[in-house]
Amino acid sequence: MATQIIMDYSGDSRHEFNPADAAALLEAEQRFNALMREGYTAAVRSPTGDPTVIRKFDPKAEETLFVPRFVGG
Amino acid sequence: MSRQLRRRCADAARRVLAAWQRFREFGFHSEREARGLALLKSWLSPEQLAQYRQYRHFDVTGCHSGKRYRIRYGVSMNVCELDSLGRPLVGRCFVPKDNLVAGDVMLAQKIALETNERGVLLVAKTFSPRWRTIHTEV
Repeated sequence: MATQIIMDYSGDSRHEFNPADAAALLEAEQRFNALMREGYTAAVRSPTGDPTVIRKFDPKAEETLFVPRFVGG
Repeated sequence: MSRQLRRRCADAARRVLAAWQRFREFGFHSEREARGLALLKSWLSPEQLAQYRQYRHFDVTGCHSGKRYRIRYGVSMNVCELDSLGRPLVGRCFVPKDNLVAGDVMLAQKIALETNERGVLLVAKTFSPRWRTIHTEV
């Protein structure tokens, strides 16, 4: 199972999907694109554990984290 | 003061101290704060996690400048650029626009500095860091 984690008021919201299921994959890609349009940053972890920003949906990513846009404090 | 009263006071002081140590060790977090911290810890490198567990802050390296930043537990005014000796140089205040818990904010700041340092510093506001005994605070 793959997971999309969206940071929010509750801590985070998680959406799990089976990458082998075409319908679930399409839904995950649509969610990814919608969040990108809202200004979220998507990050995945590289094999070394370092965060990497992605701009296109990665169907092989096991865990994608969505971070809201930043503002000056 | 009677011996019995002194003993009761000593017992009470020990209980308070034990409770305080438990609080310091495990923290007192709501469920949402705990979720945020769990997510943060799962994304920290082993070195950052060890540093966070000891001091409740961790250091990151900016992806563009190679500068070191310290991210302290908190939701604002909690990022500081460090000098070559690890002392706080200037505060950098930038936060996610949504209302997030501390763990999420710290993780978002880490990812931003490690992947888009220039971009996030463009929106960050500076402040004078007033962190006291920055290496030992818990």
